[in-house]
Amino acid sequence: MASTLLTSKHVAYIQSLDTKRDRLDYHLTSHLRLSGVYWGLTSLHLLNHPTALPRSETIDFVKSCYHPSSGGLGASPGHDPHLLYTLSGIQILATIDALDEIDGDKVVEYVSKLQNPDGSFSGDEWGEVDSRFVYCALSTLSLLGRLGDAPGVSAEGAVGFVLRCLNADGGFGMAPAAESHAGQIFTCVGALKIAGVFEKSLSEDQVNLLGDWLCERQLPNGGLNGRPEKLEDVCYSWWVLSSMAMIGKLQWIDREKLVEFILSCQDEENGGIADRKGDVADVFHTVFGVAGLSLLGYEGLKEVDPVYCMPKDVTDRIVWNHRKILTT
Amino acid sequence: MNPTPLYSYASDPAWADLLPLPQDDGQYPLAQIAYTEEYTEAMSYLRAIMAKNEHSPRVLQVTAHIIEMNPAHYTIWVYRAKTLFALSATGEVQLGRELEFLNDLALRHQKNYQIWNHRQTVVEAIAAAAAPAEQEQLVREEKEFMNRMFEQDGKNYHVWSYRQWLVRRFEAWDGELSFVSALLERDVRNNSAWNHRFFVVFGGGGMDARQQGEGEVVEEVVEREIAFIEDAVFIAPQNASAWNYLRGVLKKVHRPLSSVESMCLGYAPLDNPDKITSSHALDLLADIYAEKREEHGKAVKALELLAAKFDPIRANYWNYRVGLVKASV
Repeated sequence: MASTLLTSKHVAYIQSLDTKRDRLDYHLTSHLRLSGVYWGLTSLHLLNHPTALPRSETIDFVKSCYHPSSGGLGASPGHDPHLLYTLSGIQILATIDALDEIDGDKVVEYVSKLQNPDGSFSGDEWGEVDSRFVYCALSTLSLLGRLGDAPGVSAEGAVGFVLRCLNADGGFGMAPAAESHAGQIFTCVGALKIAGVFEKSLSEDQVNLLGDWLCERQLPNGGLNGRPEKLEDVCYSWWVLSSMAMIGKLQWIDREKLVEFILSCQDEENGGIADRKGDVADVFHTVFGVAGLSLLGYEGLKEVDPVYCMPKDVTDRIVWNHRKILTT
Repeated sequence: MNPTPLYSYASDPAWADLLPLPQDDGQYPLAQIAYTEEYTEAMSYLRAIMAKNEHSPRVLQVTAHIIEMNPAHYTIWVYRAKTLFALSATGEVQLGRELEFLNDLALRHQKNYQIWNHRQTVVEAIAAAAAPAEQEQLVREEKEFMNRMFEQDGKNYHVWSYRQWLVRRFEAWDGELSFVSALLERDVRNNSAWNHRFFVVFGGGGMDARQQGEGEVVEEVVEREIAFIEDAVFIAPQNASAWNYLRGVLKKVHRPLSSVESMCLGYAPLDNPDKITSSHALDLLADIYAEKREEHGKAVKALELLAAKFDPIRANYWNYRVGLVKASV
């Protein structure tokens, strides 16, 4: 079992993903391709190989997913626009410093039209509502520098909806009264952080209860699960850990055991990280494993921003430094 | 997947008017695509039909075919839904048939959520045109189908979300409590079911709360819930869900944690650590004792037992709590 991070194998694995176009599973995943590019690109940046994917082709692909009529992005050319992929596209462009390649006003217009009267956001015009989409909307707007300047968007309404998703056990669910789930917690806490209202929205007791729920996700094998009585999975190394980092409770995790668990899920031969040991690796679990290790301060990795799941130097440049100037 | 399709659109006269449209990968450099014929062919006929903006019965055929191979392809669901509603408006399609299609699909694709989003829009459309008795029948059948889903996976997040939507949308609270009690009887560790119980008993204008009006919860309901928890904890003392539910109930009805001290001591006798059977009872005792200055010693003892013996993986957290107790002196 690998006891270190197999950086060069992971880089090669991610680079190989786009060469597998002759395989059926490549096409069966076209409905999430743009997010796949974001996962791969972010992994490479955190692994300190930021130029391992060709920049101009990456920009071209993002642009080929853009719908000029609505301002949203789909997962691949020919796929309908959706908030999930709109965020992925903006994250990619922000990471490679290419936001000027897209019409920001139009994207803001797309996002604003998806807000509902109760403050929630729909994922697309078809109307599915989920607290995840509040995060997608606020993250997209803030990366475009338009959080306080998005006509028709009520950040206050969005925050109100997120707070209605808070449960008695301290966690957040996908809608009011829906079961607490670590993935939803990441999006809800992240949305409150981006809106700049987390500290005034939750009391110290509430933060401690949330931290309690989150660190209870660590199982004896070191891995984290997403809900009580569920199996561990590498992706929760991100959803749980980033939430704990955002609320300042990262120290409640047994770091050594979690590092060991993530490293044990690496594909030692072909690179990539799987959901758990022995399963097939994929780019989704690769980025969340690598990002989790970054939060844990694993040597040789670039610092990740727990709010955005992007390199911290990128979000500092685009979001946080700007805010500091505004607030001081 | 079968590499040699049994059915071919190219040889079916019903599709002869269409020129299949191959995949356009935009400006991204193209490599030769050689994925299985079946998927390629179906997709190219669908592209041809979408290019014409056609909403005919054959759209249902080709979208069903592709969804079967790739149920997460959200764009196809949207096109199918648009077609379905266009055909339903002209009476060419009965929306109820769509639910049968979805039942079969959902049972085989447990992790997919597009199915449930689509189902919600279809049920909403059926309900809009239904008489009250037909609506009741619809809700009953929806619940029956969800019960089949829960038999396969009692924690399916999409199904639970859908159930909560349905219950709220149709005020279908009747029977929910006995439904959720039965699920918990089958698996007392099912956190999703505990969450739903809270929703039914206390949340969202639920049955019991509703009878009392403005959020007042009757004493009998509280007693019933505590008795239910006591039974559940007796069966599985180390079940986090039941203890979390207990905390949620006490907070909701403004009862002090100390009201369950004796129950906790049954599972975590502090003076006899060898007999401790629940770390959650210890955790709760620590909170109970932290509230009274003269009992801080017992709180610290409970937390130290957790850090050292009963939940060492979270030692940093328990030590933080020890610090809080000591700092409050």
